[in-house]
Amino acid sequence: MFEIEYGDGGTVMCRGRLDAAQCEKAEAFMGKLDGENTLDFADLEYISSAGLGILLKTQKRLAANSAGLKIINVNNHIFDVFRYSGFHAIFDIEAKE
Amino acid sequence: MQKKEFPRHLNSLAGLYEFTEEIMKAHDLPDGVRFPAHLAMEELFVNMVHYNPTVTTGIEVGIDVADRVTVSLVDNGGVEFDVTAKRDVDVDSSLEERKPGGLGIHLIQNLVDSLEYQYQDGRGEVIFTKGSGNEDV
Repeated sequence: MFEIEYGDGGTVMCRGRLDAAQCEKAEAFMGKLDGENTLDFADLEYISSAGLGILLKTQKRLAANSAGLKIINVNNHIFDVFRYSGFHAIFDIEAKE
Repeated sequence: MQKKEFPRHLNSLAGLYEFTEEIMKAHDLPDGVRFPAHLAMEELFVNMVHYNPTVTTGIEVGIDVADRVTVSLVDNGGVEFDVTAKRDVDVDSSLEERKPGGLGIHLIQNLVDSLEYQYQDGRGEVIFTKGSGNEDV
């Protein structure tokens, strides 16, 4: 189960498990993002390479207009996936406290 | 080893997660083992689905938990795809240079403790292990 929606202040709230079967839903939402955006991963339990691909695709599209994604409240497991993927260097990422 | 066959479709991922999560949780495996095990299972399963679009047989998943978790995925009728082969993945390139895709096998090779692949007469089998200690991902 994966859910994505706008929360307070325009932050994009992601919840559940972003696996390959849920990418269509994630891509449909992120494909409409414009400008600077913050993704809140506080309730995102899991992400696989399919989800990483959507994040990368979105970041590249936004960066073309000098904007981008900030990802906050990232759990330690997802943070390590980002680190192994080199995403910590191309995204603004904040770990969950 | 407990085994279950799943239809060759991405919609099987939820059932694959439930089947293996129940077993790993019953053995009190920590998140630091369950998370990478689930990630490796998904990446391997999705590869078998994507690289064999005309194959209709299911994919058999087996799991055993002893001093570590051992997972096997058996693909009957698929093409040979050695997941243990090293691949050039540049995780240090700039955003402009990065292209989506290609990270799945790289993540598996970094997250599991052992990874084996066998292929004979159209039968491919991947076996990986992940320790059951207190290590994190």
